Amino acid sequence: MSAVVITGLGLVLPGAHHVDAAREILTTGAPQFSELPEALGHGRGAVAELPAGIIPPMQARRLDRTSRFAWAATHACFQDAGLHPKTFGGSRIGVAVGTLCGGNEASEAFLWPYLKRGPEGASPMVFPNCVANATSGHLAVAFGLQGPSTTQLERENSTLAALEQAARWLRMGVCDAALVIGADGLYPLLSEITQRSRMTARHGLPRPHTATGFLPGEGAQAFLLEREADALARGVRIRARLGALSSSSLEDRAAAMQRAVAEVMDRTPDHWIAGANGHVRVDGSEARLGEGLPQPVHPKALWGEFCGVGGQLLAAALLRPAGQVLVTAPGSFGPQFALRLDDVAI
Amino acid sequence: MRRVVITGLGMVSPLAANREGTWSQVLEGKDGLGPLTKLHLPLEPGQIAGQVSMAFGRRQTLGEVMALAALEEALDGFTPTVDPRRTGVFQGAGTTGLPVAEGYMDQRLLGHQPPAAELAFQCPNMVTDALARRIGSEGPRSTVMNACSSSLLALGQAFERIACGELDLAIAGGAEGLCRTTYGGFSCLKAVDPAKCRPFSRDRAGLNLGEAAVEFVLEPLELAQARGATIYAELLGYGATMDAHHPTAPHPEGEGARRAMAMAMRMGKLNAEEVDLVSAHGTATPANDGSECQAIRGALGPAADRVSVTSSKSQFGHTLSAAGAVGTAVAVLALRDQVVSPTLRLVDQDPKCDLDCTPLHAKQRIIRAALVNAFAFGGNNLSLALRRWEGQ
Repeated sequence: MSAVVITGLGLVLPGAHHVDAAREILTTGAPQFSELPEALGHGRGAVAELPAGIIPPMQARRLDRTSRFAWAATHACFQDAGLHPKTFGGSRIGVAVGTLCGGNEASEAFLWPYLKRGPEGASPMVFPNCVANATSGHLAVAFGLQGPSTTQLERENSTLAALEQAARWLRMGVCDAALVIGADGLYPLLSEITQRSRMTARHGLPRPHTATGFLPGEGAQAFLLEREADALARGVRIRARLGALSSSSLEDRAAAMQRAVAEVMDRTPDHWIAGANGHVRVDGSEARLGEGLPQPVHPKALWGEFCGVGGQLLAAALLRPAGQVLVTAPGSFGPQFALRLDDVAI
Repeated sequence: MRRVVITGLGMVSPLAANREGTWSQVLEGKDGLGPLTKLHLPLEPGQIAGQVSMAFGRRQTLGEVMALAALEEALDGFTPTVDPRRTGVFQGAGTTGLPVAEGYMDQRLLGHQPPAAELAFQCPNMVTDALARRIGSEGPRSTVMNACSSSLLALGQAFERIACGELDLAIAGGAEGLCRTTYGGFSCLKAVDPAKCRPFSRDRAGLNLGEAAVEFVLEPLELAQARGATIYAELLGYGATMDAHHPTAPHPEGEGARRAMAMAMRMGKLNAEEVDLVSAHGTATPANDGSECQAIRGALGPAADRVSVTSSKSQFGHTLSAAGAVGTAVAVLALRDQVVSPTLRLVDQDPKCDLDCTPLHAKQRIIRAALVNAFAFGGNNLSLALRRWEGQ
């Protein structure tokens, strides 16, 4: 069976509209947090800006924040992969979206006036974006994507769940290319809830594995997956080979992570991209995983929690060349994910 | 690829809090639709819904309680003994947690500062987690958020994991409770019929919303037979497509839906001539039913002339993320009992819906295989293929 490879990457991250800018942030370790604009809530967070000139203004008006980021990231991803979806054949392309906030921004925007004023406050323009899969629908229309589609929600690791499904579709021959999206947009109620429930870092920056809280972020990451044989036949550059992906669900989350890591590792990785970054419910799982591993990198300490719910971890893993990369992605509940990428090239 | 069979089926519906109670009333031509009492929305023109009465605790949602009850019925006393790492839970999720958000916002509008922690920890995958804990699953969990096709894709995901040998047991299904967001949303789209919905009717005027939960136990055939399990039906495969047409409206000719059905039959190695039943999405919205019938014709070709079509929305209302699982339950029980459930209130059939849509009364017939459809916002189309279990 042909391996699954990543041939396209598109990013809209706080402080970075493109791959090189994201790599610079990862290299310098410069956190991208600032005071949130009033429209997005209160407190600190990592705000992404939409690159100009990609989404037609008439279309942009219909999109929620999450979908706008996803659209821009997808545009960059297809360009990076040298694949024109309509020429390739839209029915051959699947879409798997991971999100935690998708639909929530619109739900808040829909509910305040509806709760205040009843039916006359309800907006038929807003409601269609209240569903988490609004993003995949918008992408399908924009890029002519007609293959299978899923929107996965697995808290902090939704995008890794989406990645798993996309890879499966490719292996089964259900589609010939699969777009994996991690996307989230900030909205006022999110900052209110996370602050009032004392989940956010109240003093300074988030510090990984200190249980002092996170800061929210937003953005989108797009990855194009293909079977390796197809990618080689297209003559496209391969960014990485999907080595192994595992999730494990145990009440003891550290034990679950150990099991997930054991299932994906076949040797000590060159780089270790750790997902935990001081989320209040995440313990320091790396301490129990083994000695002598390289120093972990913490993308969530740069770009924030949410921000693609695991997509930012996968993106960071693709920004440095390595023979093998391990991504550990602890979840606050439920499955703990581990992913191994092989032959990462930039 | 291993063959995958359904060995458990549990159902909570507006008609009854169990499978057989629900099914017998469906066959008698009863519906679970009635005056909306759970939500106080006096200004909404539509006041009909399918509602489930179940008690639940402060830290639970109705969806979770219904799903756990459906799972108990599906397990029917069975305690899984397979490796817990080779068991998985796959759920279609919808509005779980939204009532909590609505309550929080109500309090804020009144000038209060309600506790935020409950809302902060509400997440659509809480139902998935609760089901996984119940069966002691240590394997994959999937929470699908594809709106109204969610639970059908969850079944498809469970199918492929068992078929390819990754899992030996899966729980799949969906649960949905009413909330103001969906009620107000569909109402403002003019998609809610103030009267009881009439799928496939010439004068159909929209949907009614409903509550339900359905959970299935899926196993590889050889393990199910080894433990002497009751086999309800064989799950053959699924199809999934996108319309790439419009954020909410289906493709007018049902092109994406046709491809989803064709893909399900292809994956399931099922000929159109073998399909005797389509458990349709059948929302009773003007846009859906005609294009769905056209899609069925496109997928089945001449065989469409002898297929039976039914819409469970006429009994339960549109149960959104659970709709695919509800439609699958209806198809599975139809395959078991060789009887098609009726489409209620279908008196004046729309000429655009020119199929046998099983008006008013249940119909005994040979049913060898069935397709189940569920379509969703975003132009998302799912179709599932099932075959009657005949002992081999």
